This record gives sequence, structure tokens and C-alpha cells, in this order.
Amino acid sequence: MIEVQHLTKRYGRVTAVDDVSFRVERGEILGFLGPNGAGKTTTMRILTGYMPATEGKAIVAGFDVFDQPLDAKRRTGYLPETPPLYPDMTVLEYLEFVAKIKGVAGPERKQRVNAVIERTRIGDMSSRLCSKLSKGYRQRVGLAQSLIHNPDVLILDEPTAGLDPKQIIETRELVKELAGDHTVILSTHILPEVSQTCQRVVIINKGRVVAVDTPDNLTARLGGSQTIYLQVDAGESDPSVVLGTIAGVMRVVETDRHEERVGYEVESEQGHDIRRDLARTVVTSGWGLLELRPMRLSLEEIFLSLTTEETDAPAAAGGETANG
Amino acid sequence: MGNILAIAQKELKSYFSSPIGYVLIGFWAFLFGWFYINILAYFARASMQMAGMGGPQSVNINQDMIRPLLYNVTILVLFVLPGVTMRTYSEEKRSGTIELLLTSPITDFQIIMGKFLGAMALYALMLVVTWIHVGVLFIYGHPEWKPLVGAYVGLLLLGGCFISIGMFISSLTKNQVVSFMVTFSIFLFFWIISWISSSVGPTAASVVTYLSIVDHYDDFGKGVIDTTHLIYYLSFITFGLFMTAKSVDSERWRG
Ligand SMILES: Nc1ncnc2c1ncn2[C@@H]1O[C@H](COP(=O)(O)OP(=O)(O)O)[C@@H](O)[C@H]1O
Ligand SMILES: [Mg+2]
Repeated sequence: MIEVQHLTKRYGRVTAVDDVSFRVERGEILGFLGPNGAGKTTTMRILTGYMPATEGKAIVAGFDVFDQPLDAKRRTGYLPETPPLYPDMTVLEYLEFVAKIKGVAGPERKQRVNAVIERTRIGDMSSRLCSKLSKGYRQRVGLAQSLIHNPDVLILDEPTAGLDPKQIIETRELVKELAGDHTVILSTHILPEVSQTCQRVVIINKGRVVAVDTPDNLTARLGGSQTIYLQVDAGESDPSVVLGTIAGVMRVVETDRHEERVGYEVESEQGHDIRRDLARTVVTSGWGLLELRPMRLSLEEIFLSLTTEETDAPAAAGGETANG
Repeated sequence: MGNILAIAQKELKSYFSSPIGYVLIGFWAFLFGWFYINILAYFARASMQMAGMGGPQSVNINQDMIRPLLYNVTILVLFVLPGVTMRTYSEEKRSGTIELLLTSPITDFQIIMGKFLGAMALYALMLVVTWIHVGVLFIYGHPEWKPLVGAYVGLLLLGGCFISIGMFISSLTKNQVVSFMVTFSIFLFFWIISWISSSVGPTAASVVTYLSIVDHYDDFGKGVIDTTHLIYYLSFITFGLFMTAKSVDSERWRG
């Protein structure tokens, strides 16, 4: 349904998206996970035809977004990071206007507007001015807008950002309901969000895709182990056997060797700090301890910069009343 | 066409769902009224003098009243049209609604034409306001209506030129105030070059006169629809809208 091939976007000298490729199958919800500035918005803007890529290709609903932009746009619904509302219009006027420019035919317009109002539960607000909506409702009207022409593909840029916990849950439920009828890409910088909503995750950092997997596999890959880099001067003997016998050590891999100096990656079980035992073993064996430091997988580093807490934005959640 | 009208309608409505449309029309009516009263007073004095002298020459309501009155509209647009165009793109960029427009299945051309027609419709409404004043002259005098057709066609096109420049400027910035100021300065420049034309050498003068949007109105003001000027205005508008299209497109590339 969506196919992205070697997409690159440069803003002047800044490379915001760097050779990104992935696919999304029909009816799937794909999570686009990455810290701020990772290039999520940029990728989504390219997919929606808002801006062209510097290099690469994107096919949405069977149409190349550069060569057949109108065909692709007719089949794509987009909720930008800030819901694109006209402050001076009422919700109803706004949705009618969007229906028109999204190409919903005259006779169907009323029915489509009512359908999305119902689906996103904004009926109470339909005659309210967009400028007078709470954050939660702004987001929902934004979502309603993206659904108005019943698109095959839905692209949602941080749909839960700035919402309070109740609103977040509602939005997630809504998005899950939408999958099946629609193919969804949603971006987020909140780790638990993807495991709850998405079937597959693309992790992006500094414009590059660093992993594509199911949320479960990713968690397993990350939570499983810890690695320590160790460099010793062991003379003639082979330390790897001795190191392997230390409690908690799962694996010892030799990574480099310069004459007497040998480097190892020692993998241990999660929660077992083996550094003291390692150091003691090396010293009591009479070897020279040259280096000992914890190693981080690049993936793990990225995860650390992601928000792992659900209650990430207390200011935003607290500032808005729960009526939205 | 449906898309163009949808945008145009949205634009026109947006002027009146905030105070801006009323403020602009109010300001316009006020300034026009002020010109009207002054010219009327002058005209009344002149016609009384003429009558008193009983000479062969008499004042003509078309030539001595309506023509200078409508000529003053070329000054009015200087102040009012930057207000009409300042929002067209700036506001969409500031509020992020430009993302909605540019990701909808409509072309840039349709967006630009829609915005242009929306602004033109508001301007046309302002011209309609002037019919009230002119209409009064029909009640108390006997002006010819034919030259008025030419004059209004000219004013509409002249405004179109200014609006197309204003939209271009608006497409360059998120800030409405900046958009207004820059547009006003450029309009002023176009106005001033018609004064310069009288004080420079003949070759320079012809270039300057050519550039001056206002000078091309002269014949229209006399009620003559001359194809040269018609084509000039239409090309100018096309050029302004083309520049706007280029600006929107290059913004896309830059992001
Ligand atoms: N219009 C722009 N001009 C220049 N740089 C930009 C622009 N938009 C985004 N960037 C840069 O591109 C990178 C990716 O940004 P973005 O796609 O917004 O990331 P995300 O949505 O993941 O937070 C960032 O380094 C950002 O500063
Ligand atoms: Mg973003």
C-alpha cells in the first residue's frame, strides 16, 4: 500500500532524511518511532506530497507521489503535527470545506461530514468555532478532516502529542478501529505507544532507519542483555574460557587483537552487573587490565533518547482540562 | 473549476468572519467619501463660477467630477489592497493550514486562482460601494454612463495588478504585518514612478510610464478600453500570479 524507496531529503546542508526505505501492507498500522528531529515529519510530508524528496521514490496507494501527486493525494488522509484548522470557521463549515477540496462529490458531502463527525465523536462541537476548541478536540477535528474522503492511506503525525492520558487512550482506540479499512502510518516519540497501537515499527534516528520489526521483537532485542567491552594483556594464556565461567556471563566474543592485547565483548544477563567480577578475575589471574567499559547498542542508545514514560507531558496534560 | 470556486468562496467568507473585511470596507468607504465631498465641493464651485461668467465653456460632470473622483481610487487601492492581500498566504503559513491545501488533490494553480478571485471579489465589493456615490450624481445630474463602464473595467484590472503583487509578497512571509508593509511599499513605488516619468528624459520616461500601473489607467478613466492597456494589465496580473506560483513551489523545495 505504501512503498518508500531510498528517500533522502536535504534542507540546504542538513540531511533530515537519509536513504529511508520501508513498506506498509494494506490494513496495517505502522509506527514511525524516533526522537525529536529524527525526520518523522519530513518523511510524512514527502509521503503526503507536501514537499518533494531530494532523492528516492515513494508510492502511495499505487501512485508515485511525485509523478501522480493528485491521484496519490486523493487516496491519502493526513493529520499534520499541528491540526490545520481555520480559526474563523465552525467545525461543520471546516469539514464541509475540506470535503470539497478533497474531492468528495456534492451529493455525498453531507453524509461524509456526518460520518466523520460521528466516528471521531465531535458532534457536540460541530457548531463551535475552531479557534474555541480544546486541544483534544482540535486533534479530533484534525483526525475527522483526514478521514473525510475515506482515504486508503492515513498518515498521522504524532496524533497523541499534547493530549491528556484519557484522550491518548481514546485516540489510540480510534486509530486501531481505523486500521483494516485504512492503512495507517503514525509517528510518535513515545515508546509504549507503538507497542500498544502498531503491528510493525520503523525506528528512525538522525534521518536513518535503524530497525524495522514488530514491537515484541524489538523489546526482546533490547531488554535481553548488556554488553561490556574488556581489553586485557594476557600474555600467552587465553582468558575467554575463564571469563565465560563468571556468574551472569552469557557470551564472550573476541573482537580485536594487537599482539598481547586482546579485546572482548562480554555479554551478560540483564540486571547482573558483572564489572567487579570481571575486574577481579582479570587481576587475580595476573593479566593486565587495559580497558573495561559498558557498551551500548546503537538501538539502545536511541531508545534511551525516546520517551519511555507515558506521562511524558504533564504540562500539556495538566494545562488542558479533561473536557476535550 | 469547482476547486477554484471552493477556495475563492472560503477566502471571501474569511474576510467577513473576522473584523478585517468590515474594517477594510469601512476604511475604503470613508476615504472615498472624503474624496467625494471634496471633489463635489470643488465641482459645485467651478460650475457656479462658469454659470456666472456665462462663457461658452461649461463644466462637464463626467469629465470634471466623475473622472477625477474615480482617479482617486488609484490612490485608495494603495492603502486598502495591501490589507486585502496580506493574509492570503501569510495566514495559511502561520496557522499551518497551508499543509492542508498543499496535500489536497488540488493544483497550486487552483489555489492561486481561488485566492485571487476571492480577493478580487472583495475588491469588486468595494467598487460597488462607490456606485452609491456615483449613483447620487445620476439623480441630480445627467452624466453619461458609457465612460463609466470603461473606468470600472480599468479600476478592476488595476486592482487585479496590485492584488497579484500583494499575493506574491504574502507568499513570501508568515507575518501579515510584514506582508502589508512590503506590499504597501511596492505599491507606493509603482505609484511614484508615474510622477517620476514627468521629470526624466524622454526614453527613461517611456520606460517608466510603461512600468507604471497607474498611467495605464488614464485611457480607461476617459472611458476608452484600449487593447494595449487591457493586454498590459492582463499580462501584469498573469506575471504576478506566476511569481506567486513560483514562490509557493520554491517554498516546497526548501521546506
Ligand atoms: N524547513 C526546514 N528547514 C530546515 N531544516 C529543517 C526543516 N524542517 C525540519 N528540519 C530539520 O530536519 C530534521 C528532521 O526534522 P523533522 O522531520 O521535523 O523531525 P521529527 O518530526 O522526527 O521531529 C531536524 O534536524 C530539523 O531541524
Ligand atoms: Mg515531527
